[in-house]
Amino acid sequence: MTTIISLMKQVPLPSQMRMGEDGLMDRTKAKSIINIDCSFALEAGLQLKSILGEAKLIVCSMGPPSFEQSLKKAISMGYDEAYLLSDRKLGGSDTFATGLAISTMIKHLGFGKGLNEDFIIVAGRQTSDGDTAHVPSQVAANLGIPQATFIEDVQFQDNHVIARRIIEGGYQILKLPKPCTLSLTPTGIPPRRPSLVGAVKANQAKINVLSVADINLSDEKIGLSGSPTIVAKVINIKSERAPVIFSKGHDSETLVENLIKDMKTGKNTLERVEKKVSKAKVAPEDYKKVDFRDGASGILTWAELANGKITRPSLELLTPAKNLATSLEEGTKVRTLLIGHNVKDLANELIYHGSDEVIIVDDERLEEYRILPFSSIFAEVIQKYNPEIALFAATTAGRELAPRTAVLTQSGVTADCTGLEIGEHIDRKNKKVFYPILESRRPTYGESKLATILGFHCPQISTARAGTFEVPKRDESLKGKITTFKPKFKDDDFITEIVKTVRGDGGLANLFEADVIVSGGRGTINDEMQLVKDLAQALKDQGINAEYASSRPMVDIGISEYARQVGQTGKTVRPKVYVAIGISGAIQHLAGMKESETIVAINTHPQESIFANSDFGIIGDYNDIVPELIRQVKEGFTFGIQKGN
Amino acid sequence: MKSENSLLTDVLIIGAGPSGLSTAISLADKVNKNGEKKRIVVLDKGQEVGSHILSGTLVKEQALKELLSKEEFENLPIETDVISDHTVRLTPEGFSTLPFHPPYMDNTGNKIISLSKVCKYLADVAIQKGVEIYAGFAVSNLIYENGKVVGAKCIDTGVNKKGEKQKNFQGGSKVFAKLIILAEGSRGSLAKKVKNKFALRAKSNPQSYSIGIKEIWTAKEGNIKEGEVYHTFGYPLEGEEFGGGFIYGLGDNRVELGFAIGLDYKDPTLDPHALMQIWKQHPFVKNILEGGTLTQYGAKTIPEGGWNSISKLYIDNLLIVGDSAGFVAMPALKGVHFSVTSGMCAARCAYEAFKADDFGEATLSNYKKLIDNSRIKKELYPVRNFRAVMSEGLFVGGFKFGIQLITNGFCLLTPHMKRDSLYTQKLSNFKNKPFKERFAGKLEFDKKLTFDKDSSVFYSGTHHDEEQPTHLVVKNIEEFSRININEYGMPCQYFCPAAVYEEHIDKESNHSLKIHAENCVHCKTCDIKTPNDAITWNTPYGGDGPQYQNM
Ligand SMILES: Cc1cc2nc3c(=O)[nH]c(=O)nc-3n(C[C@H](O)[C@H](O)[C@H](O)COP(=O)(O)OP(=O)(O)OC[C@H]3O[C@@H](n4cnc5c(N)ncnc54)[C@H](O)[C@@H]3O)c2cc1C
Ligand SMILES: Cc1cc2nc3c(=O)[nH]c(=O)nc-3n(C[C@H](O)[C@H](O)[C@H](O)COP(=O)(O)OP(=O)(O)OC[C@H]3O[C@@H](n4cnc5c(N)ncnc54)[C@H](O)[C@@H]3O)c2cc1C
Ligand code: SF4
Repeated sequence: MTTIISLMKQVPLPSQMRMGEDGLMDRTKAKSIINIDCSFALEAGLQLKSILGEAKLIVCSMGPPSFEQSLKKAISMGYDEAYLLSDRKLGGSDTFATGLAISTMIKHLGFGKGLNEDFIIVAGRQTSDGDTAHVPSQVAANLGIPQATFIEDVQFQDNHVIARRIIEGGYQILKLPKPCTLSLTPTGIPPRRPSLVGAVKANQAKINVLSVADINLSDEKIGLSGSPTIVAKVINIKSERAPVIFSKGHDSETLVENLIKDMKTGKNTLERVEKKVSKAKVAPEDYKKVDFRDGASGILTWAELANGKITRPSLELLTPAKNLATSLEEGTKVRTLLIGHNVKDLANELIYHGSDEVIIVDDERLEEYRILPFSSIFAEVIQKYNPEIALFAATTAGRELAPRTAVLTQSGVTADCTGLEIGEHIDRKNKKVFYPILESRRPTYGESKLATILGFHCPQISTARAGTFEVPKRDESLKGKITTFKPKFKDDDFITEIVKTVRGDGGLANLFEADVIVSGGRGTINDEMQLVKDLAQALKDQGINAEYASSRPMVDIGISEYARQVGQTGKTVRPKVYVAIGISGAIQHLAGMKESETIVAINTHPQESIFANSDFGIIGDYNDIVPELIRQVKEGFTFGIQKGN
Repeated sequence: MKSENSLLTDVLIIGAGPSGLSTAISLADKVNKNGEKKRIVVLDKGQEVGSHILSGTLVKEQALKELLSKEEFENLPIETDVISDHTVRLTPEGFSTLPFHPPYMDNTGNKIISLSKVCKYLADVAIQKGVEIYAGFAVSNLIYENGKVVGAKCIDTGVNKKGEKQKNFQGGSKVFAKLIILAEGSRGSLAKKVKNKFALRAKSNPQSYSIGIKEIWTAKEGNIKEGEVYHTFGYPLEGEEFGGGFIYGLGDNRVELGFAIGLDYKDPTLDPHALMQIWKQHPFVKNILEGGTLTQYGAKTIPEGGWNSISKLYIDNLLIVGDSAGFVAMPALKGVHFSVTSGMCAARCAYEAFKADDFGEATLSNYKKLIDNSRIKKELYPVRNFRAVMSEGLFVGGFKFGIQLITNGFCLLTPHMKRDSLYTQKLSNFKNKPFKERFAGKLEFDKKLTFDKDSSVFYSGTHHDEEQPTHLVVKNIEEFSRININEYGMPCQYFCPAAVYEEHIDKESNHSLKIHAENCVHCKTCDIKTPNDAITWNTPYGGDGPQYQNM
C-alpha cells in the first residue's frame, strides 16, 4: 500500500504576523491557520488516495506544540496519523536545517532508504511566513528522490504520478515514479472541509510528538548552529503610498501626455519614516578578520533557457554578478553555466552581457530543463570551480534548482532577493569580523520588511527576483572564455519524464507573472470592459507581459471571470504597474493590489479612495482616456516597462 | 441509515451561545454529580466558539452565579463594572440626560462583558466537565424518523453554486441523539422549521425582532471612562420607530457602541446601518469617537416580542432554549441571563427525562413548568405587552407602558401583533419622507467616523467560500421582482447591514436582484423583514461567516 506523507506547516494569519527584535518570528500572538499551500497539499494527498483506492495518509510537521491543532485538523480531513517534530533546539532553523530535520524525521518513520519504496510526499509550494519554497526541494534532495514543484494537479497512472507543473507563461506535464516529492500551489483543488465524524476522530487522536533526540539528529545540525544562513537585520519598508500625482490638462490627449511625462519624472516618495539604521557599525580594531571562503572564488550563474533562448531573468542576473565581482578581489570571475542541447551559439550572448566564462554542458537529453540532472551537474561544476557565490533567477525552475543544488553542496539559500551586495558581518560575541560576505536582501511579510540574509558556507547561494535588476548592456566587444564540461550522469537522473511542455499565452496563470495589469471596475460597465481588454492587448502587442483583471462587481455581473478578480476574495497581485480603471478603491479591492510597484488610476471622481492609493492619476472618463492611452501604447508607451524577450 | 459518516450521542446541542453552553454545563454537572456518563455534543457554525456571538453586553450576573461553581464564576472574564449609567435623549442638534432611569433600564451593579469571550470561557468549562464541543460545523437539517426528530445533519461541503458535488466534496455527518436542544440564537434556522412543521406558534403572537448594529472602537484617550454607560433614545428615530443607541466604555480606551431599531418600521427604504452612521454624527456620539479608530463591526437580530411571543418549546425529543425560544427582556434588551436560566431549565428537564428514559413530549413538557417557575416568567410576564404597545412608537407606547407597570401588565388595548415583514409599506403607500430625503446630507460617509456598508463589513471579518450554493434562498424570482422590487423598491438592499443584496439595473433599465452571499454576517434580518417572506436564510458552510473577536 502506498503511503502518502503530507508536509504541513502552521502559520500565523498573515494579517497578524509580528517579527521579534532578533529577526525571528514571534508566533505567539497571532491566530494560527494551516499554511494555505499546505492545505492544498493535504487535499492533493486525499485526492491521491481516492485515485489509488487505498493508501495510508500521514501528516508531518515541525514546530512548537501549538501545531497540534493543525495536525488534528488534517486528521479531521481524513489523515490517518500525525507526527510533530517539536523541540526547543529547533528554534532558529533556516530552510536548510528545516529540510534536513524533516527528512531525518521521515527516515525515522521508515522511509527514504532507497528508490524502491512506495511513498509519495506532498508539500505546500511555500509558506506565507517564510516565502522561500525551498523546503520541499531540500527534503527531496536529502532523501535522494525525484521531485516536482509548483504542481497544481496530480493524477496517478501506470504506477506513476502525473503532475501538472506551473512554469512561466505555461505548464508542463511530468511523469514521476514513486517515491517522489511534490509541492502544491494553491490553485488546484481547494482543501475539503473536515467532517464532524473526522473532527471527533481528531479529538481523540494522539499526535505523535518527536524530539530531536528521538530521530537521532545531532544538535549541531539544527537550530542556529545547523543553519548555514542567518537573518542579519530587518528593516521596515514602504508603509503607505506617497501622494498621487494627478495628470494636468483638460482634454484626454493632454492628460495622457502628461501622465507619460509624470511617469518618466517618477512618482512621489514618502519620507522614510523608519529610524535611520544606526551608523554603519565599525568593528573594533582588535576583532579578528575572518575570510571563511577558504579558497572559494568567483561567481557562478545559471543561464536558463526557454524556447531555445536565454530567458531575460538569467541575463538580468549578470548585473548583480558583475557588481559583486567588482566589489571582490581583482580578477574575480563571473562564470555562467549553460546547460542544453546545441547551445554553443548562445554562449556568446552571455559573454556579450558580461559573463567572463561560459561553461557549456551539451546533451540531447538536456534540451529541456529537468531538476535531477541539472542539480547534479551544478553540484559537479561547483565542486570543480569552487565559486564563492552562485546565483539563480527566482523563476519556477530557479526556485527549485537552487535549493536542491544547495543540499548537494551543503549550502544555505536565500530566496527571491531584490538586493545583492558584498559586506561584512561583525560577530561581537566571538570578536570576529567576517569579510567579504554576500548580503542578500529580500522583502518578507507581505513586502512590508526587508531582511538581510547572510550565508557562511560557500558557495553562498541566492535566487534573484525577476525584474529587479536591469539586463546589462549588450556589448559585442566583450571577450570571454567558452569551456565545455562533461558531467557524470546517473541513469536515475532521468527517471522523471517530461510528457509535455506548453508555453505561450499562459492566460490566467499570467496574472501573477504579468508586469502590467489593466484592471476594470464597475465604472467600465458600459462597454463591458472592452477598452480595458484592448489596452491590455495593445500592451501585449508591444511585447509587454500584460494581462487584464477586474474588481468583483464585474465578475458578479459576468463580464469578467472569477479567476481575474483582484481583491480580498480574489487574487492578490503585485505587478510592476497596476492600472485601475473605473475602480473606486474599496478596502477589499485594495487588499489585492496595494503592493503593486506603481499604481495608475483613472476615475471620474477625484475623491475616490483609489487615488489615495495610487502614484499617478487621471481624473476623467475612461471612454475618452483609454482610447488615447491605447494610441500612445501603439506608439511605444509601455508604462515604463521594458519589453520582454 | 446509520452510516460511517454518522455519530451517536445522548444529547446534541445546536449552538454554542450562552444558552447552549449553559444547558451543556448544567446537564454535565448533574450527570457527573451522580457518577453517570452521558455523551453531550455541542455544535456551532462559527469557526471558533464565539465567532458568531454578538451582544451588548450588560449582564445580570445572578444567573451565571447559579450556573457556575464559585471558582468558575470568579474566573469569568468580566470587562468591567458599570460605574455610571445615563439615559440620554437626543434631538437633531442637542441632547439632555434624563434625571431618572426609565423602568427596567437601570444598570448600576451590572457588569459589562464580551459575550464572545465569555462563551469561549464557558466552552472551556464545559469541556472540563466532559462535554464535546465542535466549532465550524453548521447543522442544516433535522433528521426525522416516523415523524419524530431523531438527529441532525451537518451541511454537505464541496458543492458548487449549482449544487453539483466537487472533487473535494465532503458529506455532512449525521448525528443521532436521544435529545436535541436547539440553541441557535435569534431566528434559528432549524427552530423556524420546527416551529412551522409542528405549528408551535398556534397559541402565541408572532415573534417580533429588532436589528442591532454594533461597532467597537479604540477611542482617543480620555473620551470615555471605563465602565461608563449611556443609552440614547430619540434622534435619529422619530414617530413610531422603536429603538435607540448604547455606548459602553471598556478598558484600554475601547468603546463599544450600537444602535438597535425594531423591525416593525414602515419605510421600505429605511437603512439601519445608515441610521447607525447618522447617529454617530450626532455631537453626543461624535465627541466620544472623534480621533478614534473603528476596529470591529457586526449586526444581529434580537427577538423582543416578550412573553406573548413565546411559542411552545418542546416536542418529542427536542427542546428550544435561549433567543431561539424568544427569551429576551425587552425593555432592557437583555437575554443572556435568560439564556442561562433556560439552559438550566432544559438541563433539569433533560436529566429527568434520562432518569425516566423517556423523551416524549409529555415528559419534556416539564420544561415549560420549569420556565414558568423561573425568573424568566417572573420578569417577562409583567411586561408582556411592552413591545406590543411600543409598536405604536416610543411616545404613545411609553405612556401605555407606564400604565401597564402600575396594573401589572394588564393592558386594555393589547394591539394585535403581526409579523415584522407585514409592517413594511409599499412605496406607493408610504406617505412620510423616504429615508434618503429624511437624512439628506448625512449619507456621505467619510471612512473615518462613518463608513459605507462595504467598508463596515470588512471590519466584521466575514468570509464565505464562494464555491457553495447560495445560503440565501429566494422563494420565487418572478414574484420577488414583481412584489419586492416593483412594489416595495427592494427593501432588502436597505435593511441588510452587509450589502448582500444589490438592485442591478441593466442597459435596458431592467431591475434585478444580485446576491453577494459572501458578505453575509448572519444577522437574519432578511429572513424576518422581506415583504412576502420572500427570502429564507439557510446556514452556509460551517466556519464561514463573521469572525467576531470580542463582540
Ligand atoms: C466580504 C467582501 C469581500 C469582497 N471582496 C472583493 C474582492 O475580492 N475584490 C473586489 O474588487 N471587491 C470585493 N468586494 C467588494 C468591494 O467592497 C467593492 O464593492 C468593489 O470592489 C467595488 O468595485 P468597483 O470599484 O469596481 O465599483 P464601484 O465601487 O461602484 O466603483 C466604480 C468606480 O467607477 C468610477 N467611474 C464610473 N464611471 C466612470 C467612467 N466613465 N470613467 C471612469 N471612472 C468611472 C466611479 O467614480 C467609481 O469610483 C468585497 C466586499 C465584501 C463585503
Ligand atoms: C446588539 C445586541 C445587544 C444586546 N445586548 C444585551 C445586553 O446588554 N445584555 C444581555 O443580557 N443581552 C443582550 N443581548 C441579547 C443576547 O445577546 C442574547 O440574548 C444571547 O446572546 C442569546 O443567547 P443564545 O445562546 O440563545 O444565542 P446566541 O448567542 O445567538 O448563540 C447561538 C449560537 O448558535 C450558533 N448556531 C445558530 N444556528 C446554528 C446552526 N444551524 N448550526 C450550528 N450552529 C448554529 C450560532 O453561530 C451562535 O454561535 C443583545 C443582543 C444584541 C444583538
Ligand atoms: S443577508 Fe440577511 S442575514 Fe445576511 S447580513 Fe444581510 S440581512 Fe443579515
